[in-house]
Amino acid sequence: MAQTLSDSVTHRRLFLAGAGLLAATAFAPRSWAQAGADLRLPGGPSTRPLTDAFPGKRGMILQRTRPPLLETPMSVFDQGVFTPNDQFFVRWHWANVPTEIDATTFKLNVRGRVGRPLSLSLADILAMPRVQMAAVNQCSGNSRGLFQPRVPGAQWAHGAMGNAKWLGVSLRRVLDLAGVQPGAVAVRFNGLDQPVVDGAPDFSKSLSIDHARDGEVMIAFAMNGAQLPLLNGFPIRLIVPGWFSTYWVKMLSDIEVLGAPDDSYWMAKAYKIPDTPLANVAPGAKDFPTVPINRMVPRSWITSLADGASVAYQPHLPVGGIAMGGDAGVARVDLSSDGGRSWAPARLGPDEGKYSFRRFDGMVAVAGRGPVALMARCTNTAGVSQALTPNWNPGGFMRACVETTHVVLS
Amino acid sequence: MSDRQKTPSYGRALLQLGAMAGGFVIAISLGHHAFVESLKPPPAPPAPAAAPPSAVSGGGFTLTSTSIALPDDDPPYPAGPGADLMNGNCTACHSASMALTQPALSKAQWTSTVEKMRDTYKAAIAEKDIRAIVEYLTKVSAQAKGDGLSAPTSDAGGASG
Repeated sequence: MAQTLSDSVTHRRLFLAGAGLLAATAFAPRSWAQAGADLRLPGGPSTRPLTDAFPGKRGMILQRTRPPLLETPMSVFDQGVFTPNDQFFVRWHWANVPTEIDATTFKLNVRGRVGRPLSLSLADILAMPRVQMAAVNQCSGNSRGLFQPRVPGAQWAHGAMGNAKWLGVSLRRVLDLAGVQPGAVAVRFNGLDQPVVDGAPDFSKSLSIDHARDGEVMIAFAMNGAQLPLLNGFPIRLIVPGWFSTYWVKMLSDIEVLGAPDDSYWMAKAYKIPDTPLANVAPGAKDFPTVPINRMVPRSWITSLADGASVAYQPHLPVGGIAMGGDAGVARVDLSSDGGRSWAPARLGPDEGKYSFRRFDGMVAVAGRGPVALMARCTNTAGVSQALTPNWNPGGFMRACVETTHVVLS
Repeated sequence: MSDRQKTPSYGRALLQLGAMAGGFVIAISLGHHAFVESLKPPPAPPAPAAAPPSAVSGGGFTLTSTSIALPDDDPPYPAGPGADLMNGNCTACHSASMALTQPALSKAQWTSTVEKMRDTYKAAIAEKDIRAIVEYLTKVSAQAKGDGLSAPTSDAGGASG
């Protein structure tokens, strides 16, 4: 098709260029590694290497080697609503990530305000009744690199997200096995990763006891039918449908039922957002009340055409992509080819569940040759629509606005 | 075969030359092969059959023990005033790319980031080094329009505040 994503074209061209360099000089791999994806971040720096160097991963945008930050190229999201495991984004806080996991000795401990503390083996977990769910895992800072004014942090474009079919056991069932005692208010989750420096805060996150027992939060041992890649949290991770992935603790090894709210660093200080609609404040604002980041909001991305692409003019241009409803399903997606002045509904693909990506496709009328600003706008089943104006906060969290794909018709 | 029988004598000579040349090429190849072989370590004694990775199964699903090797870290911070301090204080916890992919941030923003690294994430940064580290980061981020990998130069220190 004419609207092949320029991402993948760029990738192929780089591959060919890289092969030529390899033939020309022994230093080629380094030169090659310095070229790669262009994330089109306002003001730059925008280019990142593409890497195959991480076991179980291929063609990832390298944001940081250690601890790994690997982003999924947008072209991957055009291939289907489920993100392949070997192209699923990776994000670790601390460099002390175990690189070897023995499935036969791994244990998940459940302790704190429970009647029967548990130490569950993977065999115990595999023997429990199973639940399966499609759900989008999206980093709190996904698209942070597009904030204006720019803010510090991992400079992601839109690829710090993925959608998978998660298979595992219900967290509620595990908590019921342990017997939550009266007075429990929260549940804290910790994984095997550790800080590099003494005294630094170990990464852990918590959910309210009611949320933890809602029957949807699960402990997954499989994604898309296979065991988790180590870099995505093998052997088990928490799945918190509809919530940002900071809560989806990887290599989950410890569950602690708390009798008081979690006041540790990663809940009390980090991942806090302004307590305002869409976490929006004016740039430069200070001293606003904050809350821990929580539910996701509707988003959508055109994936059939890359931002900046040049395509052959046709009066009705096909436009497709993916949408998510956040903490609710996708009700509709509308398309615009005039910068948001007029909208026409897109056709929705199969419904894989309220927390999944959903494909959309449609045709937009275009007046003639030249530049055109294409937009998709998702409305979720709770009636929430994406806003045209970008939201802003100093953490670069929860970007929610309608995204614009600029293409030139020639 | 019947063609060869009909070949005139000069043709036979050519064939013989060809055969010689072929033999020479084979000899060179063998020599090259022997040379390459000589660079390799001596063959290891036959290894015992590697034990398959351990696994746990249940309900038709198997979880197999996993071991990976992560790639080598990024190159160090680009040379420039303060680069040694960057390499000494920052790379213990994260690759240089974390800083080199940041947008142009002000001196105040970088100061607050460096203080957070010290106070919250326990980077052992001496008070006297903070100024030079902030200068380096401010300079690099002001320059990093493209690939985030350029070295700071002394004439690009204007952007701050």
